[in-house]
Amino acid sequence: MNDMTPDREERSANLKGLGCSRKRVEDARFTQGKGNYVDDIKLPGMLHGDFVRSPYAHARVVSINKDAALELPGVVAVLTAEDLAPLNLHWMPTLAGDKQMVLADGKVLFQGQEVAFVVAKDRYIAADAVELVEVEYEELPVIVDPFEALKTDVVLREDLAGQTEGAHGPRKHHNHIFTWEQGDEATTNQVLDDAEVVAEETMYYHRTHPCPLETCGSVASMDKVNGKLTLYGTFQAPHVVRTVASLLSGIEEHNIRVVSPDIGGGFGNKVGVYPGYVCSIVASIVTGVPVKWVEDRMENLMSTAFARDYWMTGKIAATKDGKITGLHCHVTADHGGFDACADPTKFPAGFMNICTGSYDIPVAYLAVDGVYTNKAPGGVSYRCSFRVTEAVYFIERMIEVLAIELNMDAAELRRINFIKKDQFPYQSALGWEYDSGDYHTAWEKALKTVDYEGLRKEQAERVEAFKRGETRTLMGVGLSFFTEIVGAGPVKNCDILGMGMFDSCEIRIHPTGSAIARLGTISQGQGHATTFAQILASEIGLSADSITIEEGDTDTAPYGLGTYGSRSTPVAGAATAMAGRKIRAKAQMIAAYLLEVHDDDVEWDIDRFVVKGAPERFKTMKEIAYAAYNQAIPGVEPGLEAVSYYDPPNMTYPFGAYVCVMDIDVDTGVPEIRRFYALDDCGTRINPMIIEGQVHGGLTEALAVALGQEIAYDDLGNVKTGTLMDFFLPTAWEVPNYETDHTVTPSPHHPIGAKGVGESPHVGGVPCFSNAVQDAFRAFGLRHTNMPHDHWRIWQTANRLGLHD
Amino acid sequence: MELKDDITINAPKSVVYAALNDPEVLRQCIPGCEELIKHSDTDLEAKVVLKVGPVKAKFSGAVVLDTAGAPDAFSLTGQGNGGAAGHAKGGADVTLEEVDGQTILRYDAKAEIGGKLAQLGSRLIQSTAKKLAANFFTKFADVVENVDA
Repeated sequence: MNDMTPDREERSANLKGLGCSRKRVEDARFTQGKGNYVDDIKLPGMLHGDFVRSPYAHARVVSINKDAALELPGVVAVLTAEDLAPLNLHWMPTLAGDKQMVLADGKVLFQGQEVAFVVAKDRYIAADAVELVEVEYEELPVIVDPFEALKTDVVLREDLAGQTEGAHGPRKHHNHIFTWEQGDEATTNQVLDDAEVVAEETMYYHRTHPCPLETCGSVASMDKVNGKLTLYGTFQAPHVVRTVASLLSGIEEHNIRVVSPDIGGGFGNKVGVYPGYVCSIVASIVTGVPVKWVEDRMENLMSTAFARDYWMTGKIAATKDGKITGLHCHVTADHGGFDACADPTKFPAGFMNICTGSYDIPVAYLAVDGVYTNKAPGGVSYRCSFRVTEAVYFIERMIEVLAIELNMDAAELRRINFIKKDQFPYQSALGWEYDSGDYHTAWEKALKTVDYEGLRKEQAERVEAFKRGETRTLMGVGLSFFTEIVGAGPVKNCDILGMGMFDSCEIRIHPTGSAIARLGTISQGQGHATTFAQILASEIGLSADSITIEEGDTDTAPYGLGTYGSRSTPVAGAATAMAGRKIRAKAQMIAAYLLEVHDDDVEWDIDRFVVKGAPERFKTMKEIAYAAYNQAIPGVEPGLEAVSYYDPPNMTYPFGAYVCVMDIDVDTGVPEIRRFYALDDCGTRINPMIIEGQVHGGLTEALAVALGQEIAYDDLGNVKTGTLMDFFLPTAWEVPNYETDHTVTPSPHHPIGAKGVGESPHVGGVPCFSNAVQDAFRAFGLRHTNMPHDHWRIWQTANRLGLHD
Repeated sequence: MELKDDITINAPKSVVYAALNDPEVLRQCIPGCEELIKHSDTDLEAKVVLKVGPVKAKFSGAVVLDTAGAPDAFSLTGQGNGGAAGHAKGGADVTLEEVDGQTILRYDAKAEIGGKLAQLGSRLIQSTAKKLAANFFTKFADVVENVDA
């Protein structure tokens, strides 16, 4: 070797592999306006669809008159349930084992429900024709309160009349969907009865919406000559959409190609299957030309999948000195008119049973009752793994309430109850095996960085100054410590519509030493093309810059379950590493042949195989790739390709410690976020820059949900927050500076130790912002108040506590 | 949504009461009213163009009058449908009191709004309704006083 030969450190850096803050390769096209989203797709002869939607939340559809609409020049067709019925497509299955009307079949169950689908030559004509469709409704009593729904004689789902058994067990009432129970009820109740201290609280985690910048849409193109259906759409799980489309339409799966192009944010909103997708397919089959459907913002907010809407009642038992002995949680879950919750089949309330949080709680019980109401269907995991945001909010509020009950510092209460490092893998009372964690180290680091003691001292002084009339602002110190459960999931217990939740990666190494890898996932902004290339670079010794990552086309990508619930890195990322290792195993045989030694006599070194004990003799991955295509190697097939389908042995459990310092003006209700510190432990860190971006995004959506974002209904079932004027989407104006930090506790079962991070900041952020608001008023007797903490509600809290007197 | 107010009209009670039952007077006074047909003494049919925030739509509706309290009180209920724009229903109780040849008209109205109108206009609807009611009664007083003169 001479001075020109790069040293090991340099070779490693050249790969831009794990740990490199490599710039996002996607951004060149996004920042230049060259992205290709569904609405950018324009096919020859394409028609446009638009929906007639119900203005009523609950009504019988007496008649639909299409005549005036059909007379409008440019209108091609108006589809109603009657037209879809012969194809058996007027209803469709939901991901939760229920069924949902594609177009109103005799009645409507929520405002904005799809009643008729107008197909016209352009989007404007379609919208005009929508107004010409005359629908006669007969109003029915509207039920928007899930507790009322369980008492009333009003039957929402007449199609289920008499069915006492649903997809998830017995139904107790005609508006009841399921009861899901986990844990040990009898022992939990016994512990509560015998406890020295019990804290109880009921909290409402309001209905909100992921509201991605790009709304949902699809373009269906049925080629009647070759019998092939191509479906472009905003799909977070394109392969599942292909399977469902095949099962519903009867078109053989090989004749369906589903393509997710660039997606402008998903956050769970694009997991479900919507009537618009079905109608665009049917319309294309009927008309023989491509049909596009793209919803507008109001349609997105009022009809596609919402998130949360959980009424949670908790009881937490503890000793006088703060050791938690048991936890009881009951949830009344408002699922709207149809149960279209997007969860793995066996988990009708998602992973709500992670609600014991980061604490060593010996016994617990959880029951969730799903209920029908006259609201839009959905129930997606908005930037979180399935219902984990609800679970973490619940436990982090219960901890605060218990701290009040015990008159104890909430940071100390957490400290004495954390699962200890040596308890991992930890078996939780509600059935999960936490793979790894080091909570105390993260907590101490967080508290030290923000000078927690100093903050509490300042807060106490502020309270005194407020009482003396010297200030009108209060200070809140919001704490949260969360454990996420992501990477769904093991095929043995996780499936979507029967499809096991594995994921996949297929790699082809080209002769000149570059590569393409295709995955079963689909980026919606996460930066997969950047990070998955980094995983592979470290595994196979080719620079990330020489690796193309492709996702979203079911004709080329291997089958996978898609991207949501922070599953891409834990599952498809693992598949990528495993496929890379298969490449490396074959490369080892080729290298050994080229170096004329036995396979076992070479070893891997960053980007090459070297002869053991003779490092000057080596073959780089580039040389090996070329040899794979130009040499006849005895016993080795030509080419260098691999595919891996990865079934994860367990979930991964990222965690984090967040602190928010807030100043609240009690006279205006305006909170000012002075400081936000976020420590995340997502195991092995693939690209720190992307992690930081993910944390900023997740925290901003957490701020939105905690401080104002909601889907609100009035008593008549009108959506009161149907536009961005009323639905809070934070801008740079509301968003504070975030400080990010980390610890690294690799997952023991993941091939590279990574755990997923995209959703952690949302999961941990919501309770942190909420706790900060509530903590500001703790000294004045506040125990709990529901989100969203908008200015008006904060003002009301201050008023109720007599702070305006 | 509830609206409550009063207005003093420079005309005797009997004149005011008669005007309240006169479809032609009502047509002139109801903001955006294009058509008002009297089917009987108590049943009316109306076509009204309404604009709330970004929603503008033609509402057609039926109004039923309750004249049992004549000439001191008067109430009406109605419902209207604006198709894709939404729908509304409501009612109003009106009392008339004569003081020194003038009539004090008090109204107490309730309305329920649904559909796009409620979604888009939720923050505008109360103020719009107030304005419409004020427009109606100002015009009404004007018409009645001029007829009288």
